[in-house]
Amino acid sequence: MQLKQTLIIAVALSVIGIAAWELYWRDQGKIPDLDDDKNLWAVQRAEVENASKNDVVLLGSSRVLFDIQLDEWEKETGVRPIQLACAGGSPIPTFHDIVNYTDFKGTILVGVTPGLFFSTTFPEAGPWKRPQTRIDYYEDRTYAQRLNHWLSLPLQKNLAFVSTSEEGWSDDIDLKSLLNTIDIGNRTGKPKDPPFYAFQYIDEDRNNYMSERTATDTAFANSIQRVWKFFIMSNTNPPDKESTTKFFVDDAKKFMERGGNLILLRCPSSGWLKGGEDKFLPRTEYWDTLVNATNAKAYHYEDYEQLKHLECPEWSHLSAPDARYFTTELVKIMKSDGALSNSKTN
Amino acid sequence: MLFNSLSFVLFLVIVLALYYSKIFNWTNKKRLLLFASYVFYGLWNPPLVILLWISTIVDWVAGKKLAVEENQRKRKLWLLLSMCVNLGFLGFFKYRDFMLDNFTSVVNSYGYGYQAQPMDIILPMGISFYTFQTMSYTIDMYLKRTERARTFLDFALYVTFFPQLVAGPIVRAQDLVTQFYEEKKATINQFIWGLFLLTIGLFQKVVLADTLLSDTADTVFGSKDILTGLDAWTGTLAFSGQIFFDFAGYSTCAIGVALMLGIILPDNFKYPYAAIGFSDFWRRWHITLSTWLRDYLYIPLGGNKHGVVRMYSALMITMLLGGLWHGAAWTFVVWGAIHGIYLVIERMLRGKIHIKINAFSGILLALLTYTLVNITWVFFRAREFSVAKNMIYSMLSLNGDGEKLLGTFDIVKVMSLISILFICHWVMRNTSMKEVSQKTSPIVLGIVWAIMFFLIAISQGSGEQFIYFQF
Repeated sequence: MQLKQTLIIAVALSVIGIAAWELYWRDQGKIPDLDDDKNLWAVQRAEVENASKNDVVLLGSSRVLFDIQLDEWEKETGVRPIQLACAGGSPIPTFHDIVNYTDFKGTILVGVTPGLFFSTTFPEAGPWKRPQTRIDYYEDRTYAQRLNHWLSLPLQKNLAFVSTSEEGWSDDIDLKSLLNTIDIGNRTGKPKDPPFYAFQYIDEDRNNYMSERTATDTAFANSIQRVWKFFIMSNTNPPDKESTTKFFVDDAKKFMERGGNLILLRCPSSGWLKGGEDKFLPRTEYWDTLVNATNAKAYHYEDYEQLKHLECPEWSHLSAPDARYFTTELVKIMKSDGALSNSKTN
Repeated sequence: MLFNSLSFVLFLVIVLALYYSKIFNWTNKKRLLLFASYVFYGLWNPPLVILLWISTIVDWVAGKKLAVEENQRKRKLWLLLSMCVNLGFLGFFKYRDFMLDNFTSVVNSYGYGYQAQPMDIILPMGISFYTFQTMSYTIDMYLKRTERARTFLDFALYVTFFPQLVAGPIVRAQDLVTQFYEEKKATINQFIWGLFLLTIGLFQKVVLADTLLSDTADTVFGSKDILTGLDAWTGTLAFSGQIFFDFAGYSTCAIGVALMLGIILPDNFKYPYAAIGFSDFWRRWHITLSTWLRDYLYIPLGGNKHGVVRMYSALMITMLLGGLWHGAAWTFVVWGAIHGIYLVIERMLRGKIHIKINAFSGILLALLTYTLVNITWVFFRAREFSVAKNMIYSMLSLNGDGEKLLGTFDIVKVMSLISILFICHWVMRNTSMKEVSQKTSPIVLGIVWAIMFFLIAISQGSGEQFIYFQF
């Protein structure tokens, strides 16, 4: 066998093939980006183990992830927060994990997205399972998995075609995702999920921001709005205010009793989504009840003139410039209230 | 550490660079391989390396004593010690909860309200493989079928050699330890062929098993609904392909990596889905486990030397325990039992029906064998008997109307891939990849290699664990 010749041909063709693939996807507008996966989350979760009383941990759903910008927060306070918000998830499991399995006594900011926060305490339900899966992964991850993550970062940062995502975006370009876009008829007769395209970028420390396209291309923003509509309209489970509030309040008391600083935050929403939240999860019944029960410092964006007029391009999250503005103004408000008392602020 | 991971790529590059550097003599190269093997295992869960050490030390001492001890009673005791330690590990880590569950069920069936406390013990990766491998050494020493390993280093490396440590091939001492006695160095052709095998193994795992088949199998076996026959068959065929590509992929990677180090490991799969009959299937599927079970269970139980009743009993016991080896659940036992029944029926018919195997009858019989093997995969894959029952009923069209779960493209994809798989196995059944490659032009082989590598690169598997790691 002339294996040397075979190897040379294989290497040459592989390099050509992969380079062509990379160039093709860059030409299609793809850029190298990181995946907000369990590895990225676990690295931040590990930071909590050594966090001091001055540190700040951000919990919540995607709204905290999009709307709180770490650079602006750090600029205002001198402390870079640890971002542990989890898109599509309730913050309660992560809060429970930190309160019960660490001795963290700094500041925890909990974002309250009513539809997710008050959804459930059932471990198998999506809003609970999503963050819990990450918590479990953090607990169980092996040294090999940690090493794999560190080795994958330079590839993710430099190659556009490396794009496998945990979320499974409709515009992912790994082979499985590309094959999943092939549709022949509708054999099952079930309505198809609307396409859900990635609409953000994330940094290594999980500083996350909305893509410019989402903020400027109305048709694209509308495609995300259709996804929110689909999720909300197909969810038949009623909110579980009592269980979620009780579960959270028990942990909140425990955290504050040991000297922790708890802050609740309601981030902006707009349009049809805001209308639905006002109608089915009204502030007086949900947010106010939670604030009263926890007795924590609480910030609702509608209470502040400088925040209440912000518009979300796809109803649920702020554009990158608005998120920077929101963060700066919010921190100023919290500082003036002395809400960041645990944190050494400038 | 998984073969389909970036950490393994880095690990392999470092090991190969050190192995082929001039700074080490052969003894130090073996030490390097042993250390690398512990790193390979320890990066998953460092404390569980201790189990490997215990197995190694116990079997080394037992082997040493068995080599010189003539007193039959003492020899038996040394063998017993080795078996107790290895099977004890296996029993404790793999079967404890299963035994406890069954004990609880039996006790409670008599009206006791016993509540067992699950221990939630982690299953050490590859424990079923390395315990069987190391036990084969002491059993062979007891039966005087092999010589004692010359040094502790050789023996420790035999137990721990990283390419085949966690999912085989299960190698006998005389086939592996003896290779460590003299310096091994792969020739250029061996090295490149090893790299080619590693690529094929990764292609099987990352592209064929994980990217093209696993979702369909998971969707079908994860459903609690009654499905149409087409959906049930598609899911089962997808799993038959997934488990083959997953496991054969691991073995091919292991053989390839070992070859890059100049070490030759035995074949573990020989195109099993082209098997004609079940004896033939087990000569082609997980060959090193089949031969282990034959040599250390079936033959000691009497084999075919003591009449048909004893032979059938030995066959059934071997297959039942073979099923249990795969997993601590009754579904695996049923999987083994069905294979046992197939083998018994085949032997009963062997003397009565004579079929001349030609291309036509051969392919029909291979299809029949593959179809019946698929029935067994249902029990292997289903986590509960209720799921297995629904699947079998749907596959036999006994369920009436079922739900259409899969999209048309999924069905086309699986059916096409499985057809290609079956045809490839049939075409390759009497040859080997090496023979075919020797007849293929280097350009064509290079193009095939590049296509496989390209597809691996664009699949970007998320490092899915190999199915057989759980066994």
